[in-house]
This record gives sequence, structure tokens and C-alpha cells, in this order.
Amino acid sequence: MTRYTRLAGLAVLLMLAAGALIFFYAPEDYLQKEPQRIFYLHVSAAIAAFACFAVVLGGSAVYLRTESARADRLARAAALVGVVLTTVTLVMGMLYAKPIWGTFWTWDARLTSTLVLWIIYAGYLLLRRLAEPGQQTARFAAVVGIFGFVDVPIVYFSVTWWRGHHPGPVIVSNALPPEMLFTFMVTMACTLFLAAVMVAIRYRIETLMDEAPSPASAHLVGAAAREPEPAR
Amino acid sequence: MSAIVAHELTQRYGSEVALDSVDLALDQGEHLAVLGDNGAGKTTLLRILATAARPTSGRLEIFGLDAVRERKALRARIGFVAHAPGLYPALSAVENLEFFCALHDVDRKRVPETLDLVGLTDVARRPAGRLSRGEQQRLAIGRAVLHGPRLLVLDEPDASLDSGGPDLLANVMRDRTVVLATHDHALANRLCQRTIVLRNGRSLGAGTRLRVVR
Amino acid sequence: MTRSISVAYAVARKDLTSEWRTRELVPALGQFVVLALVIANFGFQIDSRNATVIAPGVLWLALVFAGLVAFGRAFAAEREQASLEAMLLTPAPPAAIFAGKAIAAALLLIVCEMVLLPAMTLFFGTPLNPALIVAVLLATVGMAAVGCLFAAIVARVRSREVLLPLLTLPLWIPFIVAGGQAVQVAMGASGNYNQAVALLIDFDILFLVLTSLAARFVLDD
Repeated sequence: MTRYTRLAGLAVLLMLAAGALIFFYAPEDYLQKEPQRIFYLHVSAAIAAFACFAVVLGGSAVYLRTESARADRLARAAALVGVVLTTVTLVMGMLYAKPIWGTFWTWDARLTSTLVLWIIYAGYLLLRRLAEPGQQTARFAAVVGIFGFVDVPIVYFSVTWWRGHHPGPVIVSNALPPEMLFTFMVTMACTLFLAAVMVAIRYRIETLMDEAPSPASAHLVGAAAREPEPAR
Repeated sequence: MSAIVAHELTQRYGSEVALDSVDLALDQGEHLAVLGDNGAGKTTLLRILATAARPTSGRLEIFGLDAVRERKALRARIGFVAHAPGLYPALSAVENLEFFCALHDVDRKRVPETLDLVGLTDVARRPAGRLSRGEQQRLAIGRAVLHGPRLLVLDEPDASLDSGGPDLLANVMRDRTVVLATHDHALANRLCQRTIVLRNGRSLGAGTRLRVVR
Repeated sequence: MTRSISVAYAVARKDLTSEWRTRELVPALGQFVVLALVIANFGFQIDSRNATVIAPGVLWLALVFAGLVAFGRAFAAEREQASLEAMLLTPAPPAAIFAGKAIAAALLLIVCEMVLLPAMTLFFGTPLNPALIVAVLLATVGMAAVGCLFAAIVARVRSREVLLPLLTLPLWIPFIVAGGQAVQVAMGASGNYNQAVALLIDFDILFLVLTSLAARFVLDD
């Protein structure tokens, strides 16, 4: 069992534990009833996604400074995980919105900027896929990653300004009973751990792909996953 | 005085290796011919020597300066005639050269001298898009020497030149260090004292005056 | 600094001269915007009552698509790549070269806007006043900077026609939100014009600074 498999197993167990808390420990919400349980994972995924994109920002900035291949690889890995988590956030958000607000979508600042975030980093991934791998592409992607990250708060601010003083529906009420708060904290911690494990695994995959010619890399990745890691 | 010192120059594009550990040394004033079939890596090597591309690994020093770190300073002393001319077709020959004078920050008085050197004085005012292939190539060569570079890198300049080509090249190459890629062995013999042969990205050997083999 | 300005000026002048002599882009863009207005008329059934409500949206749609074409072209053509490289092999600062190309592309788009705005007045009866023109010009500046930067990025990539809008539009959203508001007010809706314009200026400054910092990473090797 490689350490990646062990970490992945641990992450899954933690998520299951969080799930147990969500369904069996946290009380049912008085107003929103069962659908409210989506909120735990929805917000956790959003926070984890932002954390990933912050890592993309950091990796991109470091890459532009130092041209470190590792920084670039980290940015790549974090971007992929971030897009996955943002997709989860958006989908869960839509599932949550329908029973509560009566509509799947609304163009308030939070949803709009999350959607824009998704589009930006999907574009980042598409750019990396379509361009020849190499230093120049890495530099381009770093610029896109940095601009994208800066853009999101600006879009959020623009939409808030545009809507004047009619904010969208509030997702999180300020006073959470302690059981809910605890459940949320645990879920968020587990989700962040899961995100970190996914980034680490993806980083390893990217490292292997960088070091080997492309057709062989697929079988190399499989082989590496099967071989035991040297003891550390 | 050494002009170029290259050690284990390698260029990789993803999994493809265009240049594999090429070594090279050239003194000032020498002319080097780079020979090899299409796809051998001539263009890749020349682009690296002209600082138009960065090698994946290896060391390159031009006029004693590191070619990657000091490329800004080096570019003022290097003239490059690339595979594609990269001229502005809507602008006349004069306007093309004057534009590059502005970029190089050199006096516009050089333009008529350069046009004279490459034999384009008669067609100076014609839009570059309406010049013949040979004239366009001359203009590209003119642009490469406009700023008085000490090193000239020429990627198959003879390919589209007309009959006066070899003389023009000899003229332009005088008193400069030159790296010239070509298929034409006779031309290489005539213009260059040193040669290097590439195949599949590797150097088959460098030497003096290659005798025509095929 | 003066060197940068003279380089940017030389590059912009070169691009504009080329366009003037070949007249490829501006007539095509002009025809495109007029056609967009015709289609909008049928698509939205515009009449004198709803014109000022729908017109700002039509304006921005036309501007966005025209902008993508105009800025994309600044770096796109094959021969542009070879000549771009020739420019970069001189001591001229890459940020100045970029600025010159962005300025030229912006000016070409502005010429197109000088067709679009009167055409809208003609077809839909929307007002044409300095407030409207200022709003559109301010938005164009910022959009040009970002659009040209990403055009330079995607120039050598496959499927650049798809990738350019995907990368550029999220960054244009702030301009469209603020500019859209300004245009709506200029066309007669209620709202705060000055605030919208102030926001546009802020965005312009922010993105001009960011793109000038990023330009040398994107253009140079």
C-alpha cells in the first residue's frame, strides 16, 4: 500500500465520518428541514475550492519569479482539484437552492462570482491542455491563474455594487446552534483534508507525467501506484 | 577571442528531442556552416544561438555573456535572419527598416546605406508584400544588419535569394562572426571556414571545410 | 521611459499604417456591428418603447464580439508571429511593444464604435451624447489591455478562437457591469452615472497596471 493509497483511504474515512455527523448528529433545521444538510458540504467544498485557487495563485507567482517546475506542477494540480470542488459547490448549491428559494439559480454576487471562478479556471485547464507543454505555456498559465484570482473579488464587488442594496438570499444564518457549528467545522476540516490529499495525488501524477514520455506515462502511473513506496 | 561557447545544448518539446547535447565553439570573425537534412535540428540550434529560443538545458555563452541571463544586452549585438522573413507587407522597404531603427534606437541615416548594401535602393518605396521572394530575403538580411551586429545568424538565407545571392552574403558576412545554416555544401565551402553537421538533433562532428560528400 | 514611449508610438503607428493601407479589419468590423443591430431588431422586436431598455445590452454584445475579433487579430496572424519575434529580438522593451499593439487595436475598435453608436441612434432612436461616448471609450481602454494580453497568450495555441473568449470574457465582466450601468443612465434610465464612470476608471487603472506588469512575461521568452 503506497502512502497515497493510505492517505486517500483516510480521507474517505474522514468524509464518511463527517457524513455520519451530518445525517445523524446534526439536528434538523427548523425552517429549512432536510435540504439544509446540503449546506455543510456545499460551503466546505466552496472554502476548499478557494483554498486550492489560492494555492494556484501562490504557485503561479512563485513560478513567474523562479521558474521552479515544482511550483508550476503544484499550480496545475491545485487548479484541477479546485475546478472539481467548484463544480461540486455549484451543483450542490443548485440542489440546495431549488427547495429553499424555489429556483435553481439567481444572479446575485456570490453565485455569479463562483460561476465566473469556475469558468476562469476551466479556461486555465483548457489552455494547459491545448498548448504545447513547456516553459512558455507554464508562464502563460501562471499569468491566467493570477489574473483569474484577482478577477473574482472584482466581479463579486461589481455585482454587489450593481445590485445596490438588494442582496441575494442569505445562505448562512448568523446564529448556528452548537451542534450544527460543530458538524460544520468537522465537515470543513475533513473536506480540506480531502482536498489536500487530492492535490498531493494529482501532484504526484503530474510529476510522473513530466518525467516520462507521454504514451508510457499512463502505464507508469499504474505501475507506481502498485509498487510499494520506499520506507522513509 | 571567443564568440560562441556552447556546451551540451539540448532542446526538448514535450517528449520530442529536437537537439541533443550539442557542443560548439566559434571564435570572433569566424564563419560557421551548419549542415544537415530537414528536421536535423538546424533551425532549433540557430534560434537558440540567436537568443530567440531558450534551450531546455545546457550552457551557452556569446561574447562572454550568458545567453539566457544577458539576452537583452546580447540582442543588440546579434542579427538574425529567420526561416520566415517576418516583414510587414503593407509597409515599404524603407518603412520596414525605419521601424526597426526605432526599435533598435539607431539613427535612421543607416537605412539608405543598408538598402544599398543589399541592393534594394531601386525598389525602396515599394510595399514589401509586392517585392519578389529574392527581394524580400534581401530586405530581411538588411534588417538583420541594420544595427551593426557582431554576430549574424542566418537560417538558410540562400534558399530564396536570386543569382547575386552568394556575393551579397559574402559582402554582408565580412568582418562579422557568422553562423549559417544551409543545404548548399558548395556555398558553405565558399563562405565558411568551419562546419558542423547535425542529424536527428545530434552533432555528427565539427570541423574545417567539409568536402562535398554526396 | 521616453524610450518606451517612442517604441510604443512606433509600434502603434506601424500597426495603424498597415491597417490603413490594407483596410482589412475596420470595414469588416463596421459591417459586423451594423449586421448585429439588424439581427437584434428582429430578435428583440425593438420598437420605440423598449429601445432604451434593450439597446444597452445590444451595444455590449456587439462591442464584446467586435472586441474579441479586433484584439485577437493584433497577435494572431502567422506572419504576425514571425514579425513579433523580430521585434522582440531588439532591445525595445516588451511592455512598450505590447502597449503599442494594444493602443493600435483599441483605436481600431474605437473607429468601429464611431460606426456603432450613430447606427444605434439611427436604427433605434437611442440618444447619442458625450456621456455615452465617454462611458464606451473608458470601457474600451480596459478591455483592450486585457483582451490584447490574452490574445498574445492564445496566439500560438490550437483552438484559439474558442480559448480567447473563454479567458477574456470573465475579465471583461467588471467593465460590462460598470459600463453597462453608465450606458443605461446615458440612454435615459435612472441611476448613478458618475459612480459608474468612477468605477470604470478604477478598473481601467487596475487592469492597465496589471497588464503592463504581465506583458513582459507573456511576450518575452
